[in-house]
Amino acid sequence: MGPPPEQTLLLATQLTKRFGAVTAVRDVSFRAHEGDFIAIFGPNGAGKTTLLQLIANLSQPTQGVLEWFPEKPDQVRCSVGFVSHQSLLYSELSGFENLLFFSRLYGVIRPRKRAQELLDQMGLQGAGHRLVKHYSSGMKQRLTLARALAHDPEVLLLDEPYAGLDQHGSRLLTGILKGLRGDRRTVFLITHNLMEGMALATRALIMNRGEIVHETGLGELESEKLENLYFRLVES
Amino acid sequence: MSSLKTIGLLAGKDLRIEYRSPQAFLTTLFFGLLILIVFNFAFDPGNPATLDAAPGILWVSLLFPGIIQLNRSFRAEREEGTIHALVLAPVESGLLFLGKFLANWVLLLLVDLFVLIAFVFFYNVRLTSRFFWLPLVVILASIAVSAVGTLFASMVSSVSAREVLLPILLFPIIVPVVIAAVSASREIMSTGELQYVLSWIKLLTGCDIVFTVGSFMVFEYVLGE
Repeated sequence: MGPPPEQTLLLATQLTKRFGAVTAVRDVSFRAHEGDFIAIFGPNGAGKTTLLQLIANLSQPTQGVLEWFPEKPDQVRCSVGFVSHQSLLYSELSGFENLLFFSRLYGVIRPRKRAQELLDQMGLQGAGHRLVKHYSSGMKQRLTLARALAHDPEVLLLDEPYAGLDQHGSRLLTGILKGLRGDRRTVFLITHNLMEGMALATRALIMNRGEIVHETGLGELESEKLENLYFRLVES
Repeated sequence: MSSLKTIGLLAGKDLRIEYRSPQAFLTTLFFGLLILIVFNFAFDPGNPATLDAAPGILWVSLLFPGIIQLNRSFRAEREEGTIHALVLAPVESGLLFLGKFLANWVLLLLVDLFVLIAFVFFYNVRLTSRFFWLPLVVILASIAVSAVGTLFASMVSSVSAREVLLPILLFPIIVPVVIAAVSASREIMSTGELQYVLSWIKLLTGCDIVFTVGSFMVFEYVLGE
């Protein structure tokens, strides 16, 4: 790939990640711009989660380079908010205590105010002092998102945030994610739900067997065409 | 945020979680007391041979519950994956270690305190001025056990056989600590020279420094992939 344009935030060049004999991610290259909302589609085992872990710096690539612009050798952690399959929350602490703890850990100025703001933003103001173990799946997922946003990261990585949510919870989460668009934050969203992904994203990456097999701007494709393309690529 | 505040924040979080769900802590404490009671029934407390064995009985009662406590120390991080959230945070891995170590040490000391009181009661220990060296020995030994225990507990936290694996890994490493703690306790309970106690205390202090610094330095690699 050539030199990055001005607004490029992240440039991945031939990223490969192997676990022993298994290659989870193979020669993956992409460019993410400021404000991009990128949906990553793919079947189970396609390497989507591993790719997100590489971006989050939770795992190091076996080969390839991931570059941040401007360079931030020691600050990648501060730039990323991560929502994984697990809640990454302490169930014996309240929602407010969880947000306060992580805000303080990230050195957020006025952590109490920030924790309260996030609870309000996620519609959890009434449940802030309840222990997380008593939250419903939907409430927990919204709190997980609040935790990931506590330090106002430039890049938000969402690994199947819809998993385990009912229709109502999905709708609430979609509303919150729509609210995140257009605030110059770059979002990567892994989802099995093509419709949800397409409703939110500006670009889509389709992964299969560790590789990006297709990349498209979602304005370029109708949902039905993307669905057909997805199944054709995955089944091939 | 300063390093000390970060360590306090991390340890405070762990202690708050323990306070909210004290069942496991109480079970651990009960286990320690149970060991003392079983030995008390097994041996005649008035027999001089029992008094000879008392330091060993005390340390069995302190160490075994300690292992259970340490094994649980990464439970919250394991169950909800919060270890990833901690690793992602802009906090040095050494501070993560020190926060967890501090919480483990405080909890271990709490268990030790109750076991020590029960030991005095069950084994008719005379509370002479010499006896008050014993809490110092317990404090020093628990530093080394908490340091290595925290390191190994993090290593085995994702392994299914962690309950068995932790003591197998931990006990061979802390042998010098156990020898020093039992020997110091024996000297304290006997009528010998106090200088022997001091030499064992010096050894325990050395173990504390080596184990804490070593675990602090290695923790980063354990937290890696």
